[in-house]
Amino acid sequence: MVEVLYRLLEFREEHPVATLTLANAGSGNRIDAVLAAELREACRAVMDDEDIHLLILTGSGEVFSVGRETKQEDSAPGLDWMVQLQVASTLAALPIPILVAVNGDALDHGLELALAGDLRVAASNARLGLTDLSRGVLPWDGGTQRLPRLVGQAWARDMILTSRVIDAHQALALGLVNRVVEADRLMAEVRQLADTILMGGPIAARYAKEALRKGMDLSLGQGLGLEADLNVILQSTADRAEGIQSFLQKRQPKFTGR
Amino acid sequence: MSQFDTLLFDKDGALGHISLNRPRVLNAYNVQMRDDFSEALAAVQDDPDVRALLISGQGRAFCAGADLSEFGTAPSQVVARRVRWDRDVWGQLLGLRVPVVVAIHGYCIGSGLEIALLGDLRIAAQGTTFAMPEVQLGMVPAAGGSQTLPRNANPSEALELLLTGRRFDAEEALRLRLVTRVVPDEDLLEVAHKAAHDMASLDRDVVAAAKSAMSRGPELTLEDALQMETRLAVQSLQDQPP
Repeated sequence: MVEVLYRLLEFREEHPVATLTLANAGSGNRIDAVLAAELREACRAVMDDEDIHLLILTGSGEVFSVGRETKQEDSAPGLDWMVQLQVASTLAALPIPILVAVNGDALDHGLELALAGDLRVAASNARLGLTDLSRGVLPWDGGTQRLPRLVGQAWARDMILTSRVIDAHQALALGLVNRVVEADRLMAEVRQLADTILMGGPIAARYAKEALRKGMDLSLGQGLGLEADLNVILQSTADRAEGIQSFLQKRQPKFTGR
Repeated sequence: MSQFDTLLFDKDGALGHISLNRPRVLNAYNVQMRDDFSEALAAVQDDPDVRALLISGQGRAFCAGADLSEFGTAPSQVVARRVRWDRDVWGQLLGLRVPVVVAIHGYCIGSGLEIALLGDLRIAAQGTTFAMPEVQLGMVPAAGGSQTLPRNANPSEALELLLTGRRFDAEEALRLRLVTRVVPDEDLLEVAHKAAHDMASLDRDVVAAAKSAMSRGPELTLEDALQMETRLAVQSLQDQPP
């Protein structure tokens, strides 16, 4: 196990899983410039390590991440300041499955970060919302784009235009989170979900994510072409042969990621 | 009724009916079924009398997935890749002008669910078990599932089904929007048959235009899509007999 120490982020590697824990506790795990830089750096490290097959993202303490960094009085508002704080797209670009353990409130920038993951499991006491408009600000780390793609235009407009904060069970009904469990069972549930995913083929999991994510930006015809090409690439892997063999021999497959 | 090795193909007036017919292996999809399916779909597309298609499965299951005993028998990657498009049975199914009703029962696994997702209206029997097990077997879907699942269920829910391969029941399929109707097992064929029969009584060109509008629309800007809809609607009015 390797632990990399950042100031506001805990980064733990236990191959094939990496866990990122937001640890800006004094401020509700708010994503400030330091935490954003550390998150981007950690994502690069995960990207470079082919033996990491799955990422878990969570927050320390009672909340996942709340609020948004506000402009300093002395700094002129601008793109540079914003880009410094943006982190969702770096996370979303990772090719491996990302499980977000929403351990408590995920509001504003915190929810935008959670939206950049793949599957979300929420503690039952968590609240979720994008309340930026109530303070005269537009969400700017992907919220206006990722939320409607996930829950549909109707709910995205309701949540963003009214700054409505919903509870975990409502979030489950909308498809904003995949599962809801009691807070004390959250990490056990997420690890179990991770273990299930890790039983599958690691290359296949990456390609399934790629086909799905890229495919949503393509026409259906182009998406089908992408899926077919990824299938042909997979044909050259030992894992696919092992998967077929194990099925025919009625045993558990042993995947090597090759 | 035309006979194929792996499916039954039947025409009753304006209603075509393809029933997957390898019941001993729960209608596992194999190369022969692909070829038979392709021929039957071509017959549907070419027959001006057919105005709706019903797809179902014989025996205990709609379709339990691809027949893995045939996997790895393709001669080479080059050939496998060419054959995917030489016999583009999924493109044929998507491109049908007539509406397609899929009656799902028993097991609807992997390719089975992918075939269903290429249809227009999915009705499931209450006792149906669904799953997308490909990734758990080191593969990814090959019949469009990675594209059609997230266009029906939400993308995150779709990815969860793909990554975990977990089984789910008809009620969950309904909640996830993978099917739109769940009926008692014994009523399935009657309900599906009636739905297909009702659609077969509609104007063939208008139905084709509606399918086309809904398939192509999401790939256009809203403005372009609205213009397309107007063009298709004007065309359908002009085509009506005075």
